[in-house]
Amino acid sequence: MTDPMIEVDHLKKAYGTSLVVRNVSFRVEKGECFGLLGPNGAGKTTTIGMITGLVPPSAGDVHIAGVPLSLHPREAKMSLGLVPQEFALYPTLSARDNLVFFGRLYGLWGRTLSNRVAHVLKSVSLADRADMIVSTYSNGMKRRLNLAIGLLHDPAVLILDEPTVGIDAHSRHAIVSTLKDLVRSGKTLLYCTHHLWEAETLCSRVGIMDLGQIIALDTPRQLIRQHGTGLVYVEFSDKLTDLFQGLKKIGDVRKSPGRSMGFQIQSSDSNMAMEQVLKLAGEYGATIRSAQLLEPTLETVFLNLTGRSLRD
Amino acid sequence: MHRQIAAIALKELKIILKDREALALLFAMPVFFILVMSFALEGVFEAGTADRPIEVLLVNLDKGRVASQITEDMEFVEGLKVIRQVDGTDLTRYQAEHLVKEKSNPVALIFQQNFSESVERFAEATKPAPPRITLIMDPATNRQLLAPVQGAIRALVERRVGMARQIHYIRTQFSALGEMAQEYLTRLENTAGRQAPAIELEILAPAGMATAVRPSATEQNVPGYTVFGVFFIVLPLAAGFMREKHDGTFQRILAAPISKSTLLVGKLLPYFLLNLVQICLMLTVGSALFGIHMGQLHALILVSLALAACANGLGLMVAALGRTEAQVGALGVFFAVILSALGGMMVPTFVMPDIMKTLSLFTPHAWALSGYHDVMLRGLGLGDVWQETTVLLGFAALFFLIALWCFRFTD
Repeated sequence: MTDPMIEVDHLKKAYGTSLVVRNVSFRVEKGECFGLLGPNGAGKTTTIGMITGLVPPSAGDVHIAGVPLSLHPREAKMSLGLVPQEFALYPTLSARDNLVFFGRLYGLWGRTLSNRVAHVLKSVSLADRADMIVSTYSNGMKRRLNLAIGLLHDPAVLILDEPTVGIDAHSRHAIVSTLKDLVRSGKTLLYCTHHLWEAETLCSRVGIMDLGQIIALDTPRQLIRQHGTGLVYVEFSDKLTDLFQGLKKIGDVRKSPGRSMGFQIQSSDSNMAMEQVLKLAGEYGATIRSAQLLEPTLETVFLNLTGRSLRD
Repeated sequence: MHRQIAAIALKELKIILKDREALALLFAMPVFFILVMSFALEGVFEAGTADRPIEVLLVNLDKGRVASQITEDMEFVEGLKVIRQVDGTDLTRYQAEHLVKEKSNPVALIFQQNFSESVERFAEATKPAPPRITLIMDPATNRQLLAPVQGAIRALVERRVGMARQIHYIRTQFSALGEMAQEYLTRLENTAGRQAPAIELEILAPAGMATAVRPSATEQNVPGYTVFGVFFIVLPLAAGFMREKHDGTFQRILAAPISKSTLLVGKLLPYFLLNLVQICLMLTVGSALFGIHMGQLHALILVSLALAACANGLGLMVAALGRTEAQVGALGVFFAVILSALGGMMVPTFVMPDIMKTLSLFTPHAWALSGYHDVMLRGLGLGDVWQETTVLLGFAALFFLIALWCFRFTD
């Protein structure tokens, strides 16, 4: 049996008395895209910091392609490519200069370097703008360059921390498409996001993080099957006190934040729940201002597991 | 590792070369400072020398002999030029005051109407009121500039007054000697002192200091400006570290197979080289425009290398201590300017109070300046600057240690 490309074993990180990562363990196999899902502050970025050697763990081990990171950091890091959440670019240099610089840090020089630079520029569709100063780039172009730098030394493992934050839908689709190609070509991806569509589209397995620990880990389909519930969002025009008691009979009801007569009803059968809501409104003579039905997704999995939304 | 250092250094150089403000701070500012300060203050530094005498407006309202003797004596004083007339007529007090008020001349000397008589009375009286002369000066004129003028005039007047008293005494005591003695005294009265200064002042360096030429004021100041300029590297260096941490590039570099020491050496190397280029440029400007003497080159290089190491260490320390860009800017200015002032870049340490002199020894600036003065002004060599070099390297080591102790690679 071959070594996993990433092996995280009982990783902990404490800052003083505050434990921000609690006993996190998972493995990512070769050619797999593993998603780390969770809201801001869940401990994803700290976990990635420990996996990339930027943050020393308080306890636990990390192996990259079978190489222990703490014992052989240079060797382990050669197999890693990082695409950080920040742009992490030199804005006064051109895209090519940025790539050349980071390539040299990984031991690429001469023709090998120029070939790799040309290759990654083409793969992120920036070849024709390679000599433009980065500060003149749009956010989408900067994100693509950020990705290109991570791919430059052709690493076996690519770690991506929220690589699509702050860009338009077109650029996001372009990046996700590039990442799909990478997975198809056999690269191993650790993908950190709070965008569920990206996780469901890209990841073969997902670990859901909350409060510094992984609370569920499986394929997206299995997670939805096990923990997913449908959701009905409904908002009434009238303020009827008895209505809330009626809704409670349909499913697990919470008030929607910021709306006095907005409710979210969680149910394993969301279609049935919607029918019951409409019937109830008729019985009470209440007018429905808006209603929305959501099928079980990773969002509802998270909501079900933590009682909070991913964007909270 | 050396390739990674080269890559980081090259990248850093590219960024600095694109940053016009940083370049202006590093190169234009110190050179401009040398040019402006040297040219603008040339009058202050060189005033009162044979080449640039201070012009003294003279208004002689005295009808007697003593005032005219003193003014004739003034013609022999090096560094003073007596202006007696404007447009072919003797200066009046009103004209003299007007010219001083207009800043055309720094000082006017007025001999009042009965000055000679008052000198005679002073010589004869047992408890006399001293004779009075009047100097009219612009209150804004530099005191240091006018002090030698005051001193020279006072010396001439006192010599003449003293002589008048002596002659009066001799005349009274030896009046019985007859006509021949009286005639001698009158001749003495008329001639004595009306000649070149009585002494020739020889200025030499202490034994062992090889300089044969007396350095000019600009030569004395260019090393100070150079040290002052070199420490300004602290600002772009520390800001560069802050920017990398803020932009996330620092973390990205550290995610590569690279050690922290490689990163620091690569980041500092271009600033160290820039410091050396900066020193070359400033001394070259000083040499080309003001003819300063470089002294022994290998000694000069040794002091310069130690100085650059020290400035880089200080820059890294500021980067380590500052938590925000504003803090880094404030700390950088504090260390670059305050330590310069304390180290004698603006006011020579020998005129400072004892406590300040002692404090100046705790600044690298003072030691660097002393090293440059040893080489460039005192004509000393490699064997004589080891103390300054060692202290500078000690400061550099201290700064680096504090920096590494406090430096946070990730925020």
